[in-house]
Amino acid sequence: MTLAPPRPDVGRARTTGPDSEPLAEPNASAPRPPAPPPEHYQRYHIDTRHMPDRADLPTRFRVEVNRFELAKLLFKEIREYWGDWDVVLSRPCVYGVFSGPVGGFAPRPHLCVGCLRCTIQHPEAVTIRRNPQWQAWGDEYLKPAMVETLQQEAALGAVPVKGQGYRGRMGGPGWDGIWTDMSEIVRPTRDGIHGRETISTVVDLGAKPMYLRFDAAGMPAGETPAVSQVQLPMVLDMPPVHAMTPTIAAIWAATAHDLQTLALLPLRVMREEGLSGSQLVPVVGPGLGDPAGLAELARAPRMVEITDAALADEVRAAAPAAQVALRLPFAPGWRDALLGAIAQGLRVIHLTADYHGRGDGAFIRDLVIEAHTLLVEQGLRDQVTLIGGGGVVMAEHVPKAIICGLDAVSLDTPLLLALQFQPDGSMESRETARFVAPPGLEGDTDWGVQRLKNLCCAWRDQLLEILGAMGIREVRRLRGELGRAMFQEDLQREAFGGIDGFGD
Amino acid sequence: MASATEIKAASPTLVAKVTHYLHDGYRDRSAGVIEEPPALGDARWTDQLILSGWYMAEHGHSPEFREHRTGASGGGFDRLRFKFERDALFAADAAGAEAESARAAVDMSLVLNRRDTARKLTIKVPWYGGGMSFGSVSENVMVSRARAAKAWGTLTCTGEGGYPAGLNPYADHVITQVATGLFGVREETIQAAPIVEFKYAQGAKPGLGGHLLGDKSTTSVAQIRESVPWVSLFSPFPFHSVYSVEDHKKHIDWARTINPDALISVKVSTPTDVDMVAVGSYYAGAHIIHLDGSYGGTGAAPEIAKKNIAMPIEYAIPRVHKHLEKEGIRDQVTLIASGGIRTAFDVAKSIALGADGCVLGTSELVAMGCTRCSNCERGRGCPFGLTTTDPELQEWVQPDWGAMRLGNMYAAFDRQLREICRRCDLPSIAALRGRTDLLRFVAEGE
Repeated sequence: MTLAPPRPDVGRARTTGPDSEPLAEPNASAPRPPAPPPEHYQRYHIDTRHMPDRADLPTRFRVEVNRFELAKLLFKEIREYWGDWDVVLSRPCVYGVFSGPVGGFAPRPHLCVGCLRCTIQHPEAVTIRRNPQWQAWGDEYLKPAMVETLQQEAALGAVPVKGQGYRGRMGGPGWDGIWTDMSEIVRPTRDGIHGRETISTVVDLGAKPMYLRFDAAGMPAGETPAVSQVQLPMVLDMPPVHAMTPTIAAIWAATAHDLQTLALLPLRVMREEGLSGSQLVPVVGPGLGDPAGLAELARAPRMVEITDAALADEVRAAAPAAQVALRLPFAPGWRDALLGAIAQGLRVIHLTADYHGRGDGAFIRDLVIEAHTLLVEQGLRDQVTLIGGGGVVMAEHVPKAIICGLDAVSLDTPLLLALQFQPDGSMESRETARFVAPPGLEGDTDWGVQRLKNLCCAWRDQLLEILGAMGIREVRRLRGELGRAMFQEDLQREAFGGIDGFGD
Repeated sequence: MASATEIKAASPTLVAKVTHYLHDGYRDRSAGVIEEPPALGDARWTDQLILSGWYMAEHGHSPEFREHRTGASGGGFDRLRFKFERDALFAADAAGAEAESARAAVDMSLVLNRRDTARKLTIKVPWYGGGMSFGSVSENVMVSRARAAKAWGTLTCTGEGGYPAGLNPYADHVITQVATGLFGVREETIQAAPIVEFKYAQGAKPGLGGHLLGDKSTTSVAQIRESVPWVSLFSPFPFHSVYSVEDHKKHIDWARTINPDALISVKVSTPTDVDMVAVGSYYAGAHIIHLDGSYGGTGAAPEIAKKNIAMPIEYAIPRVHKHLEKEGIRDQVTLIASGGIRTAFDVAKSIALGADGCVLGTSELVAMGCTRCSNCERGRGCPFGLTTTDPELQEWVQPDWGAMRLGNMYAAFDRQLREICRRCDLPSIAALRGRTDLLRFVAEGE
């Protein structure tokens, strides 16, 4: 079907008010206005491309074949089905585990999906076990299944889809204790097949004026608000100290550029690597870089992050056009520090928990709700952008964090795992987390950039699924929508509150 | 694109060989004759539950040597027990003629129409089969389910994929589903249906619509759906003709114009306002409100949706039940729960929380050999012949065998539910509705 190009003349005529001239009927013989040239058409899109694994990762299952029993089985079947070679040669695996040159005598466990048909059919010959190496992936927060999901998302750039229902525990602590709402009949827009096609994931960063003023000539008066936009509610946080290399810095910078979002890097690293640009946010503070160094960047940043509010004036002097953001850990005293920073004129606050989502005795979910509610109560929420990070490791955590009150999230460990860094011990903080880099990564930024773009595309698409189900057409409207979230403790109290033993 | 027409149907010898091995495997693994598969099961469907499902499908009663009542999900049904359940394992076969007689006396019927419109319809057990479309499962599986439904005086459902000819002999026991893609919806199948089910949403993928991958859209599937073979099919969300309760009523009126005798079931997911959705559906004319909780099964769905969108059924049932009571309409509508109903105990707990009955899906597939491996959507489909239309693989489930397995599982469920009612001193399963006083909430692992 060919659609007629938009007709702005008709659209303008119909927007006239009730006192205006009667609407003129469009003249069918009048020439159509020229359609905008196709080269000017732009739509946000992340290019995904299959980017195979670089590291040799553990398989999910171990395939153990008893070769003696297998030989016996083959001998028996050859005798029983002599001449019916399709029957003799039929294998109990449709995924190719036993389809190598010597069949079951050299199984291929990387193809095993754990259907277990082989072991149901031939228990004497085949045993499928969960691989302990796979089960040891990640750490106590980032579980093996999460790591595997991240790897798949980074390799394919697609939303993980599987058959059957949910297999995990019911609810749980932290993010798992939230279910998002849906609507039976409302969708984001009546356009498109699902209405998801036009959902916006753009977020604003910076000071938002509460009202506009105009001068006598009708032109906007006063200071222009320093708001910038990113196409995703996700920014790339500083890599862990022990993973920071020139290649990682380059991957961060190029990924942020391609995704039209922001990457945070220590100013010191940016200077050393000669990196600059509007997608890069230099982080200034002890050990990260001195504000004076901002002047040495080839291109002025649009945002600078500081680790101490006292640095704000110095940064403003060094980079007057840049928005100043404060990195504020969820440590004791963060509430006062948050309100103090806003009083000082800072309008972007980057709240951080550790890599397990912990801070000030609580989980980031509850801390973000508290921060958001605090600003709402103070009448400040719409003047401030809240970015948050730490413990956001799966796609579902992004919409949940935004529902709790963030405008955008910062990504940390998932980016490293997408690049197939192997955790070396528990990944608890930026300062202490240690990793083993995948072989051959140094110097190959293209592979890394594509893996991160794939990951972010998969996460964005999953965000669209959540927004589509809720009937929300832009992510900005999701912020703080706690009424569209269901918390396990509330649901459980409501459902089971009167049952004996509940609350004991 | 690979065409499944290149894959030959299995020869009778091959079918005999594979089914022989599989049937022996289900029997011996579930009976404990050989080691339990070490990689079987997950938190919701533990290895014990899956093996219990196979055992019940083999023997017609529950295995008293393994945990067949609850899983290990740490919440919902798995934290609820009936107060009489103090023993480590539950014996549905309490000895003695008196117990047998008491079990036999329990009325297990479920009234589906509590309004003055349409036919009166009562099924003999408090459950029926959920929608599984032709395409997501094979015709053999659909026919197996329909035969079992007929034998047990209950129902099964087409899902959104049309009405294969094999279902015609069982038409009185087949619900026709009308979902957003309207695949396979025809006037004649609505005219033949005892119940027309409008699927607004599905628990496993609430608000996302449906998706049949191209590899499973074989020529026969495409023919029934009137689509192009080997092309992915989308059921968009939501109904594009429904934006209000009034639109919803028009939908129901349309179906009732075609078949005034059919009951109308409205299948919805479990959003925050599920109670209001239920009331709206009732006033639009629904006879059955079917709540599909977020842990329900599917042929393919984004993992993010299964885990995170909409509330689990355990929480939705009491919310809707109480709200319908408050509105004074509870006894005019039948409340059906699905989406995570695994065992007879889940059925009983759902009813105790406020449902009238349940819809089964995954538990039926488990009875026919499903290992819950979650690869239904991959390539040729299910290697056990369930969620597939592959010409070879679908032969692993033959309707005679499938119906026998389901009938046995139904028998085991029936016996357990009767015993639960007997132990609770209830004359009927209907008397269990809303009896949360018979339940207790337990610590995890108890």
